[in-house]
Amino acid sequence: MSALYGGSGEASNYEYVIARVASRRAALFDADDYRKLVRMGTGEIARFMEESEYEAEMNALGARYSGVDLIEYALNRNLAKHFNDLLRWADGRLYDYIARYLRKFDAWNVKTALRGIYSDAGADAIQSDYIRAGEFDDDLLDQLSTLDTVPAAVELLESTMFGDGLEAALEDHEETGLLVPLENAVDRAFFEDIDEGLPSRERAGRATELYLDFITTEIDFRNVRNALRLARSGAGMDPAAYYIDGGTLFSPDELNQLVNNTDQLIEHIRESSYGEDLSDALDELADADSLIDFEHALDTALLEFADTLANRYPVSVLPVLSYVLAKEREVDNVRAVARGREAGLDPDEIETELVIQ
Amino acid sequence: MIDPTTLFAVVLQNNSTAPVVTSDPAMPAAAAAALTVGLAALGAGYAERGIGAAAVGAVAEDDDMFGRGLILTVLPETQVILALVVVFLVAL
Repeated sequence: MSALYGGSGEASNYEYVIARVASRRAALFDADDYRKLVRMGTGEIARFMEESEYEAEMNALGARYSGVDLIEYALNRNLAKHFNDLLRWADGRLYDYIARYLRKFDAWNVKTALRGIYSDAGADAIQSDYIRAGEFDDDLLDQLSTLDTVPAAVELLESTMFGDGLEAALEDHEETGLLVPLENAVDRAFFEDIDEGLPSRERAGRATELYLDFITTEIDFRNVRNALRLARSGAGMDPAAYYIDGGTLFSPDELNQLVNNTDQLIEHIRESSYGEDLSDALDELADADSLIDFEHALDTALLEFADTLANRYPVSVLPVLSYVLAKEREVDNVRAVARGREAGLDPDEIETELVIQ
Repeated sequence: MIDPTTLFAVVLQNNSTAPVVTSDPAMPAAAAAALTVGLAALGAGYAERGIGAAAVGAVAEDDDMFGRGLILTVLPETQVILALVVVFLVAL
């Protein structure tokens, strides 16, 4: 598949996009804002958001929803707006890189739809959970949300990049009745497609090389997370089915061996090139046995890594990707705060759930 | 590939028919000075391309950046002013 949308002849406008991204990045909530947020009730959080970045979305949705739902939908819509802006600004190669990366929201939307259909959530519920920042157009997404059965959804998605993987996983799904094989197929299709058609690392220009570095890191982190989850829950699942190709940290064989032995797995990560960044998190994991803390540490490390790369190569696609990650994290954080407050958790407890740089 | 030295020889000895040893300058002083300013302006223009794009991006996000963006955008223009000095030194 040739995945050049912007037209290869057009020059990239890195300077323009990066200046705008830098400005939006500075507008993200910082640690102080979160400290304030975790002490607020849901109404106060909504008001706080109304006075910030999220004003337009809060006003648009305020009449239809309230409470945590309002916050959640405003967050999703704001996320989609910002990421569509990125695509609107970018030209040439830069557009291509960003568009490839934002397909992660196609993956997200497909998973949302599958989950919704599986649990009979109804078209409205599915549609309001979509993040419309990917490549799928509104028609396809709306059509997807109205379907009744999972096989019908798989059939509709046949012509998309997820088609082959989903079809193969459908059998597994029908045997086990679980959604996991389908969701996993979606993730794998996304990561396999992300460097499709790009030149190999040896022949790539500097810009492509940096993009590939970033993707490799993300795949590695994803593999680490899957490996640890498997090592923890184990339960006779086939590790190869969860392995995402393209990382440098594990080979499939290594992963197969390591999931059976958590200590060896941790040792393997510690000795890898990520060892230094993750050493604190790994110590914690070995001591406390808390997977959630480790996953948060993993997220923080990925954010920091993206930031380091963005600082090192300011005129490249990396600042944009780093912003995408940071914005996603902000949305996750605010959602966690709102949900946590609604459930009556106390501030300290919520704060441990947040990923703050 | 044309060897750069031959190219220069052609340009520089434009009107001379035979390889004569002469102390005539390659081009009139005024033309050389004009070329200097032109090249400097070209360089400045190229530099301003990137800075201007970034400045417009910054202004689009935040109007207060207009002043700062303008100043940064025209900074490379100082190179042209320096090149202009050459005109006064050489051509006048």
